[in-house]
Order: sequence, then C-alpha cells, then structure tokens
Amino acid sequence: MKSPTTKSKLEPLSQREKVSHLFSRLAFGARPGDVDKVLNTGIDAWLNEQLQVKPSENPDLKERIAEFETLDLSVAECSEFISSNNAGRDATEEERKASRRLQRLPMGELMQAVALRAVLSERQASEVMIDFWRNHFNVSFTKGRQIFSQINDYEREVIRDNVWKDFPTMLSDAATHPAMLNYLDNHLSRRPPSKQELQAIERRAKRKTGSKTQAAEAVSLATQRGLNENYARELLELHTLGVDNYYSQNDVIAVANVLTGWTFDGGRSGSHEYKFDSKMHVEGNFRVLGKNIHEDETGDNGQGREVLEILGKHKGTSEFIAMKMVRYLVADVPDEKLVTKVAKVYRKTDGDITAMVREIIGSELFFARENYRNKFKTPFEFIISALRVTAAEITSLRGLENYLKDMGQPIYHCDDPTGYYDVAEAWLDPGVMALRWQFATDLVGGKIRGVKVSDAFYQQVPTDSSPRLWQHHLTKMVIPGGAGGRTRAALTTVTSEYLEKTKTPDFYKAAPTLVGMLLGSPEFQQQ
Amino acid sequence: MKNKNKFETSRRRFLQGVGAATVASQVPAFARTFEVGQAVPAAIGANGEKSIVCIFLRGAADGLNMIVPYGDSSYEGHRPTLAMDLDDGLIRLDSTFALHPALAPLESLYKSKRFAPIVCAGSTHGTRSHFDAQDWMEFAAPGNRTMREGWLNRYLMATKTESSATFRAVAIQELLPRSLRGTFPVLAVPGNATKKKSNKNLDIFERFYGDSGGMLEGGEMANMQPDNDAAGVVESGRMTIETLRRFQEIVGKAPTKRSGDVTVSGSAYPSSRFSTGLQQIAKVLKAGEGLEVAGIDYNGWDDHTGEGGVEGKMATRMTDFAQCLAAFCSDLGPELDNTTIMVMTEFGRTVRENGNTGTDHGHGSAMFVIGGDVKGGKIHGDWTGLAKKDLYQGRDVPVTTDFRNVYYSVLKNHFGYKTPQEFFPDFRPQEMRSLY
Repeated sequence: MKSPTTKSKLEPLSQREKVSHLFSRLAFGARPGDVDKVLNTGIDAWLNEQLQVKPSENPDLKERIAEFETLDLSVAECSEFISSNNAGRDATEEERKASRRLQRLPMGELMQAVALRAVLSERQASEVMIDFWRNHFNVSFTKGRQIFSQINDYEREVIRDNVWKDFPTMLSDAATHPAMLNYLDNHLSRRPPSKQELQAIERRAKRKTGSKTQAAEAVSLATQRGLNENYARELLELHTLGVDNYYSQNDVIAVANVLTGWTFDGGRSGSHEYKFDSKMHVEGNFRVLGKNIHEDETGDNGQGREVLEILGKHKGTSEFIAMKMVRYLVADVPDEKLVTKVAKVYRKTDGDITAMVREIIGSELFFARENYRNKFKTPFEFIISALRVTAAEITSLRGLENYLKDMGQPIYHCDDPTGYYDVAEAWLDPGVMALRWQFATDLVGGKIRGVKVSDAFYQQVPTDSSPRLWQHHLTKMVIPGGAGGRTRAALTTVTSEYLEKTKTPDFYKAAPTLVGMLLGSPEFQQQ
Repeated sequence: MKNKNKFETSRRRFLQGVGAATVASQVPAFARTFEVGQAVPAAIGANGEKSIVCIFLRGAADGLNMIVPYGDSSYEGHRPTLAMDLDDGLIRLDSTFALHPALAPLESLYKSKRFAPIVCAGSTHGTRSHFDAQDWMEFAAPGNRTMREGWLNRYLMATKTESSATFRAVAIQELLPRSLRGTFPVLAVPGNATKKKSNKNLDIFERFYGDSGGMLEGGEMANMQPDNDAAGVVESGRMTIETLRRFQEIVGKAPTKRSGDVTVSGSAYPSSRFSTGLQQIAKVLKAGEGLEVAGIDYNGWDDHTGEGGVEGKMATRMTDFAQCLAAFCSDLGPELDNTTIMVMTEFGRTVRENGNTGTDHGHGSAMFVIGGDVKGGKIHGDWTGLAKKDLYQGRDVPVTTDFRNVYYSVLKNHFGYKTPQEFFPDFRPQEMRSLY
C-alpha cells in the first residue's frame, strides 16, 4: 500500500534510529546529547525512568514553574484571585486594562507552563501522555470567563496527576471537575421545577416587581429549565465508547438524566468546587446500556457513579481508548491486532495506563520500519521539538502563542470537545508548510520574542570542522535519524553558494540558515 | 506543473502518506475513474467564469432561529423564551416565515430574489454527533466512513482539464474544510498569510520541496523520493509554494481595502475573522483568474446555552454573519451573477428549547443558496409544521430536502455539471427544480 521507500520495509531500525524514534514518540524530540546518552545506557533503562507513576520536575524546570503565581491555585482560590482583581466602577481606563491583564493571568500562565514543561521536562514520556489526555478530555478557554478560574486546577488534578494511573479514575475525576461540567454545560442540566417551586418563584417575582405579568414571565422562564444533553453525549461519544458505538440516543437522554445535579457551587460566595445538587437531580430509575440504574436512595450521587463505573469497565471503552493510544503512539491507521491486544490489557488491568503504554512499546510494530518517521507532527509537536533540538534559551513563551494560533493549535483553546486531532489528515493541507517555514526562519533569526537558539547548541559543532562538514554535524543534531538524499543535496547547494560568496567562511553566519532549513525540511515535520 | 500524470500519482501518494490507508484500499469506484483518466467532456469542465462559495456554519446552527416559523401554531409552545413575533422585529417573508432581526442585512438580497432559504434541509442520517455529521455532509456521503474526498474536491477532480486554471480553489483559513480535502490540490491560507514577507521563504524551501530537486555531491540527481514517509509532506510543501505564489500574485493585483472600508456599493464589512476571509475571497473572485470554488468556515453555532431570541449569543453571531455576507455580495457587484453562495450546517437543533435558553442537538436545519442566477425571494423546501406528531423522533425538525439534492442542483444549474452516478455514493439525487 505504501510507495516503496528508499529503505526496505524489512530492514530493521538501526539502534540510533530506534533511539531517535523513541525520542520522537515518547518525547517531544531529542535535546542535544539525548540520543547518544540513551545509546549508552539502553532503551529499557530510559523507559524505566520515564514510565514512573509519580511525575517529577527537574530543578531548572521547577525553578521556572515556581515563577508562576496562579498555577497551584485551586478553583476556589483562582476564582478569588480573578474576582479580587475586578476593576472598580470608577476605575480609570488604565486600571481597567491592568485588571483585564490580571484576570487573564491564570490562562496565560497555564498556556506557558504547558509549553515550558513540554520543552524542558526530563519526564518527557509523561508530558507526551499528558498531551494525549489533555486532548482526549478536552476543555477550552474559549468557553468564556467563568472557565478562566477552572482549567489550571483541571490540568493539575485531572490530567497531570492521573497520567500514569488508570483510565476509570481519570474519567471520574474529569466528570466531577467544574471545568468539564462547565465546558459541556452539565452544571446547568436539571429537572424541570416542581409545582411548589414554580409557585415560590411566582411569589418571589411578584414581591420583587409588584407586577403580575412579570411574575408570570418568571414562571414561564423557569418551566423551561431542564435537561442539557451536551455532556452526556460527549461522555459516551468522545470520552468512552466512541461515536455510535454500543449506545443510542435513548442512552444519551438516560445518562443526561442520571447526571443532573452534577454541578459546582459557582455563586459569589460559593466554594466553586464540584457538588451534587439533589434539588437539580431528576429522580427515578433509568436504563443505560441495557442495565437498570436505580435511584440512589441515600440522596447522594451514587447513580451517576454507577454509570461511570459501567463505562469504565465497558468493552467499548477499552477498545476506543486502545485505538486512540495506538494511533497516537504508533501510526495514523492503527493496527487492529495491536488495538485488540491493548484493549485486552485494559480489561485485565482495569484500564492501567502504564500497562497499556508498555504493551504498545513492547510490540514489534512500535519499532517497525514502516512506522518509523511515519506520523506528521502536529503544530504543537513541531514547535516544541524545534525548541528542544536547538536547546533553545527561553525567557518567555508568549511569543509562541501567535504561531500556534496561526497554525490552528493554540493551547487549551480547542473549541471542539474532540480535542485537537493527532492524525496527518487533519493537519497536512497545502498551505500549512508556509507557516512552519516562517517559524523555522524566525526562530533561527532570533525574531521570536523570548526564545533563541542557544550558543551551546552551535558550540556542539567542532570549531575546527571544515565548512563542508557543518551541514553533516547540524543535520545529526536536528534530525538524529538522518536526512534523505534530497534534503542533503539542498543543504549542500546552500553551503556551496555561501562558500562561493565569501572568502572567510564564518560558521556562526552560515549555521542559522542551515538550521532553519533543517527545521523546515520534510524529515523534521515527521515524527 | 510539468507533468500532470506524475503530479497525479504523487498526490495520491501524498494521501497515502498521510496515513489514510482507506483512500488507497477503498477508493470509491467513482474516484477510481480519475485514475484511468476517464475523460470528462470539455464542455462540462469549462464553466465559464462561474464560482461557488461554500460557507459552513460549524456547531449545528439553529435553522428555526434564522428562518423563523413565527406563523406555525406550535412554534411558541415549543419555545416559550426563545420565540419571537413580528412585534419583536422579525422580518416577514411570508405568512409562516420571517427572518431573524439579526439577519436584516440579508433582506434586500431576498427582496431582489437572490436569496433562497431552504427549510427542513439537511442530512437524513440520524447521527447527532457534530463530527460525524460534518464529515458526512462535506464528503456528501452520510454513514459512509470510507469516502475521504470532499464533494467539492470531487467536482474539481472530475472537471479537471489540461487548460484548467492553476488556481481553481482556495480556503481562507488555517486548515481546509473537509469539503475541499482530497486528490485535487487546494490551498488553505489564513487571512493574514497574504503578506509578501513569506516569499523569501518560498524561495529557500523550494530547494526541498520544489519540482526540480537538487544535485548530490557526486553530481548524481538527488532521489526524488525523500527519505521514508515524508512524501506527503513534500507534496504538501510543493503545492504550498506553487499555489501561495499564485495567490499572492492575484491578491497583490487587487486594490487593497481595510476592514470597515465602504465598498463600492455602499455596504461596509464589519471587522471580524469571517469578514477578513470573505474580503480575501472577493479579491480573488474579482481578479477573474478562474477561481471556481472557495470554502470558509464560521465556527461556534453549538448554542446549548444562552442562544436567545432577539438578543443572545446567536443573535450577536448572526449579526456579524449577515453583515459580512451582505458586504461580500455588494463587494462582488456584478460578479454576484456568476457566483453561488451556499450556507450549510451539519444538523439542526431541538425544536423545544432546553433549560438554559438554548437548544440541544437536533436533526433538520436550513440551508441558504444565494446568487444572481438563483430563484430567490421565496422559501424553498417542504415545511411540515412543528406539531409534535410531525417532528422527527417527536423532537426535531424533519429533513424534507436532502442536502445532496441541493449540491446536485447547484452543480448542474450553476456549473452545468451533471454529477455522474456514484458521485454521491449509494444515493440518486433529485434536482430541486424550484431553485434555478
């Protein structure tokens, strides 16, 4: 099916190619020296270090992260932070501006922290899987102001903390987090008000307004409050079973009913944390996926937890999660046999994420030639890997935001609950390459605010090496697996042109152009 | 393009390279005819100077809140808070329907009979998943997971001739809408990427991605096939260079206008992302360089909460949408006679409002067809009423006009292209005779 490649499909990967592949798939690219180091210590040692349950931060990263003010705030604290920075009624334009900036600080800091960790963390496999879950359980700042205080906590408690735990835990943590309930409108989903409640509403409105018509209007408004199917549908379609797999519209409605009352205390004096509001809950028994789910008589939210438990154990969930993981880590078109195997591991281990990742890496498909450099990097992966291979010095990552936006992948801004896609079909349109070339030349040209290719990167090239060897060294650093004939030829041409023009070749003048070309080369777009 | 055949095969490889194995193994019979070069009669391919602008409202726009059935006796009962009446500023179209007040800028197009709203339009497939429904509408193949070529791309491919313009289609956004994805190369370009500064990059990277390839040290030709599976990237890069250059040439020729500027006929573009996109499309269309198809998305129509009636999130969005569209039409001027603008959305929303002054995922919605040659000025499509017994599954607007019949009618009447069998997999389209 694939066109013949320069190397035979059967030829196994060399050890260097294997390690470079590892850094492509379980890391956002290799920093200078990474590949050589693992060639010495071995792939298994690297994996054992990486697939550890507790994520930790290397000191340099820790120091950077500590600079952020809002990253560790709980939802309640973050809400407090945002509301305490409200501009007063008499605020000047300048004060208003400052207030707006502070209210957006949690969002800005989180976006920076996500990128910073992806670039600098030595626990690369964790960061790679965190990005996977971040998209699987997508929430987005585009939802509006209320969510500004909720996503920092969500990223920390739901995604990062659970990255190597089990899927059902992450599922239930997501289901009870204000960010998710808000993003998919479940916090508003409720039973229609009872007669008594309507009467109370009418009385209150009459007392307040003194108008009969306005009271009637308030009642009519209240009658309409009710079920919102948004979260229930995406819970089945995107988080667990996969679209139209094993469930029907009736299941969506039943799950929406069961989950009424799953909300958060969002009022001014509220805790802003998740709560089960029995007053919003539709009481009754429902049939979900062929099972009768009885009302939890204790008045707690046991009914919803039962549904989540069923979903967490469902065969469909194991298959869907396995398929997505294989697609993410191995190939855009996931191998069915491998998916079946990984799904089995899911069922055997109750959705243990580490066990599933190990199963995938252990399969012969992971290091197969046909899957080597066969996935197109997403914009995020492209940018992060460019910063990693060039050991970029970072003072701020704000400058990157516009590039990610132009390429269609700003962090935590994916409107669709699907999250950002991880397959080439979604990203590889004619036109996208122009933006990547722009980024590559801007990066080496020092035109991105807060980011520059480090001197240490260039200093790896032996000072006494002849100009003809510059490209050889630089290629090895940027594309450790090696570049193809056409890319090498293009680099040679550029070097030759440079040498023709100058009598005193200067590595530091020529190198940025070559590195920019390498970052924009076909090989660097693939992982 | 030096060699069309070579280009064709490499483009096919491009698609395989991006991992869509289904494309290779299950190319629908219709698409396969391209490969054996089954000629398309020249008369069909040559559509003169005509063009289609395809606008997709993503998120499932509520047709009932656009073409409002104020005269339907069940309407208000379903939507106690959202419902509007003529007193609320609705713009009466006939005894049943009115335009939402926010769509007022489109009224004159309706009156001049160039705006044809189609009610109860959409896909007959029952899915309420945004993502499946969008795919299927844009691939024009509901329920079919193997078709991966957009319907407009299929048109472009089928009518491709030696003399076709090199720049037949474009999308003004970061990524192509799925309707334009496929074998025929189409450029996706964000509105702000038209600046000249990226030209130097095109020259630099042509060495990797251009047609000629380079020479290796020994003087032998570099392998045209790059290392491993980057073939897809190389093709994408090559097309980026080719088409972006052409695009800049065309846009560069047109007189520049800033947003907020008043166009020739007096209608102002608001300042928004959609506006920027339409302005770029207008430039290319007016340049007369043979652009046939342009695609653009408008996101954010998933109004589960706060949709509102006269006022609300949807009204705000519709205001921008209608102002942009009206400005676009007046910007096009006489060119509008050669243009058909299609507006569609993946499905409609529940007839009954939900608890949050919003609506949930439904079934049928509305489609708009706008243009000089359209029979506008009246409501198209069979309206079956909003009585509960007449609703789809007792809750949603039924679909009485399959979106594929609209596609078929536009292609046939506007482009003079009669779709061959299997253009729409497992579907025999019927012409909407009232439309043209």
